[in-house]
Amino acid sequence: MARHLAAILIALEFALCPLADAANELASFSEAPIIEQSAQAEPLVIVVNRSNPVDSLSSSELRNIFLGSRSHWSNGRRITLVMRDPGEAERKVILRDVCNMTEDQMKTHFLHGLFTGEILVSPKVLSTPLGVRRFIFNVPGAIGYLRLHDVDDSVKVLRIDELHPDDKRYKLHVLGQVANE
Amino acid sequence: MSRQLNSAFAHKPQYLVPYLDRLLIAASRYSASLLLFLVCCTVAAIGAITIRDMENTSAETMKMYAVSVRGLQNIGELQYEAQETRRSTLYALTTSDSNLQVEYADQSRIADQRVKDGIVEYSMQANDAEEAALAQRLATDWERYLILRDEVLALILEGSTKEAVSYDLSGGVPAFERVRHDLEEVKRLYGENASKGQARLAASSRRSTWRLAGIHGFTLLLSGAAIWVIQRSRMLNAIQLAKLQMEFVASVSHELRTPLAVLNSAADNIADGLIEGKSTLRKYGAILQRQSRSMSRLVDEILLFASTEDGTQRYVLQPLQLTPIIDSIVKETEGIVRDSKFVLDYKIESDLPFVLGDVSGISKCLQNLISNAIKYGGEDRRIVLHTFQAGREQRAGREVCVSITDRGIGIDSSELAHIFDPFYRSPRVSAAQIHGTGLGLSLAKRLAESMGGRISVLSEISVGSTFTLHLQVAKGEDKKAVTSSFPSSLSQHK
Repeated sequence: MARHLAAILIALEFALCPLADAANELASFSEAPIIEQSAQAEPLVIVVNRSNPVDSLSSSELRNIFLGSRSHWSNGRRITLVMRDPGEAERKVILRDVCNMTEDQMKTHFLHGLFTGEILVSPKVLSTPLGVRRFIFNVPGAIGYLRLHDVDDSVKVLRIDELHPDDKRYKLHVLGQVANE
Repeated sequence: MSRQLNSAFAHKPQYLVPYLDRLLIAASRYSASLLLFLVCCTVAAIGAITIRDMENTSAETMKMYAVSVRGLQNIGELQYEAQETRRSTLYALTTSDSNLQVEYADQSRIADQRVKDGIVEYSMQANDAEEAALAQRLATDWERYLILRDEVLALILEGSTKEAVSYDLSGGVPAFERVRHDLEEVKRLYGENASKGQARLAASSRRSTWRLAGIHGFTLLLSGAAIWVIQRSRMLNAIQLAKLQMEFVASVSHELRTPLAVLNSAADNIADGLIEGKSTLRKYGAILQRQSRSMSRLVDEILLFASTEDGTQRYVLQPLQLTPIIDSIVKETEGIVRDSKFVLDYKIESDLPFVLGDVSGISKCLQNLISNAIKYGGEDRRIVLHTFQAGREQRAGREVCVSITDRGIGIDSSELAHIFDPFYRSPRVSAAQIHGTGLGLSLAKRLAESMGGRISVLSEISVGSTFTLHLQVAKGEDKKAVTSSFPSSLSQHK
């Protein structure tokens, strides 16, 4: 019964998703005079709790985690996925470069996974980089992503395919936002 | 009559401590100011002690108040922040919004940091081992609770609400109860310490009260003693003065009685026709003349003393040549010196400057000093009068001195301070049956001072005494000097 209810809710969320995307587009359009997109890309780093023993992940491991296929860390702690709001640039990068999915595909994937029981918990959605950071700091099994300049000592940055975020071959980048003078 | 008066005033009150009376008489001149100074010092000291005591009590009260207030604040804050830590954690259960859950988690961590700071502060302010142990226990229990709280928070944020509640009930609640119990212990211990501080303050206050009462009692006693001493000193002075005055009256009576008796006897002989022949009559006439002059001198001296005493004696000071005055005095005292079988040697320095003074004043002063030398001159019967200038090199402070030296019985050093007191007569002199009024030296001193001069004395027992009259040198008044009434042809050395 509960599973059915969850599926209905996810479907409802699915339906509301284009509306949210449109709203975000509008919001970014209205902010255009203040914030301008910089051509310079900034690394998007994968962060975990500092107590997490993992230091590095491969691209496939990362994909499995973000798609909910892998549910626990090597120390037995449950993986809690932390995402930004739909429409955020960082989320788009993760969907495109890690999950190889669109927003809709991602939602369908999680709806299906939760419905079938293959996925235990849906991703946690945080509105701000600070929220992401604080969530990961509080939850030992959490994993999320942040722009490089949003990272501090409260979280641990993972290497992806043994590449540091400042490595030239590092794949995950997001277009930087610069305050308009 | 004189004997009756003497006996009346010879009576001395019987005091338990005669030495104290002697001390009081000796210190009578300074006793009032000395005692006043003593009382002032005591009052100042008492004031300082009282102020210090009050400051100590005030500081102790302030300290206790500050400790109480700070302690109450600390305990209140600790309890509040501990509850806030738990409340914020539990608030996270009430929402599925991850953003809000993170916010609650942060609030819980901020509150728990405040609790940690409070525990550290309490630990640093621990006054005894019990408090230190309690602070340590509280810190440990709080850390244990925080481990459980972190796990509960993680479960809530992960979305495992049921597990979070279960975990909190099984571990978090007992851990928090231990913390709460520790805080109650802190409160109880603080109450005990506050009670001890209150008891200490009460004891200190009682001690201060007793101390102040003691100090004030002591002040009262000291003030009473001071008043008693002052009154007693005045009474003794009054008695001594009355005694001196009565002795003076007795002496004067005695001095008058002798010439009166002679006069009476001579008059009786003449009246009874016992005197025959011109030569005998002339002899009686000379006796009557001498005795009446003696009486007249005595009366003049008393009147002069009275005039200096009430300040009616005023001299018009003028530049004087001293040599003729000395010559005149030598002439005037020639008879009494000869009758007393004394020899008066006198020496006057040449080129003496003019002095500032009054002829009669200087004459009377020197006559008194010569009479005094004759009276106490001893067996040597030689008096030396020497007139000289002192401070010749100095422009200011120059003076002409007239010293009269005898080789008589001398004056004890302990009596030197009193010989110029009115009516004072040395016990040695009284014992030696040397008659006098006790006014001569006092009168001489007053006369010298009224002319802007002074009298000094050097004396040694059984060696003799030198009394010196110091007179100021007149300034630029040489030509106006009064010299006409005295012969200046007398030899300067006889």
